[in-house]
Amino acid sequence: MRPRRALSKLLVEPAAVATGDIAFNLIVFFLVCASSQPDTGRRQDLPASEQTKQAEDKSKHIELALTRQSNVVTVNGEHVRMPDLPQRLRRLLAQTPRAEDKVVVVKSKPDVPYQHWITVTTLVQDAGAIITIQREEERTVTVGN
Amino acid sequence: MKIRRKIMKADVPSVAMGDIAFNLLIFFVILARASDDSHVKWQPAQGTRLESTRGTKVSVIISRENKLYLNGREIGQMQLAAEIEKYLGDLPAGERTVLLKVHNEATAMFYEPVIESISQAGGDLVHVLDEIH
Repeated sequence: MRPRRALSKLLVEPAAVATGDIAFNLIVFFLVCASSQPDTGRRQDLPASEQTKQAEDKSKHIELALTRQSNVVTVNGEHVRMPDLPQRLRRLLAQTPRAEDKVVVVKSKPDVPYQHWITVTTLVQDAGAIITIQREEERTVTVGN
Repeated sequence: MKIRRKIMKADVPSVAMGDIAFNLLIFFVILARASDDSHVKWQPAQGTRLESTRGTKVSVIISRENKLYLNGREIGQMQLAAEIEKYLGDLPAGERTVLLKVHNEATAMFYEPVIESISQAGGDLVHVLDEIH
């Protein structure tokens, strides 16, 4: 009888001990990848703030007043509903031929939420205007006797 | 007859070294990232047609509690413009991006002075928003 030759068995399956390590490393790798997603946002070009104000130029600009009410804004003193705002802005901006004159002055009440402000300024930007912020300044009025 | 003691070898398995080094590396990477502003609680406002921003040096946050943070460090409104200027230094235009992260319910009395400060410091303002789906 022919003697049976002992077959040298090769280890073909991965070491079970390493599987845990590999799984852990993969989890950490994907965790780090997921946490490093870039921020998404919207660029806004604001003219550099200046202390000197030219009153005669300001009179030409479109004035947009915002209040806490999110469905209506005031354009040059006139109440405009939000859906009508893009059209109104385009009409007003069409009257100023030079691109650098297409300035919209945004005045907000102190209680205007950021979401409303972003929505409105996005519409202004999309209409092709430059945004300028005019802040309400606190004034102390002393009343004499 | 003298019985020989069996000498036991206790080697550190060299196979695991790579794994240990890799885990240490990731640990330190995560630690380094913990110094950013991820601990500040805020909910972004929603917007459309947003672009992704990378490689910015300065981020300003107005948190849920209306607190102001510059690169994760709480700061006062009065110091903001000067501090942003310090960070931006002499960077050329196009690399002066300042990320503004404002909690969606924050009011104008908090975010308008911040926008003004960024503008004063000569930063290129980017509002960080969530895309409307």
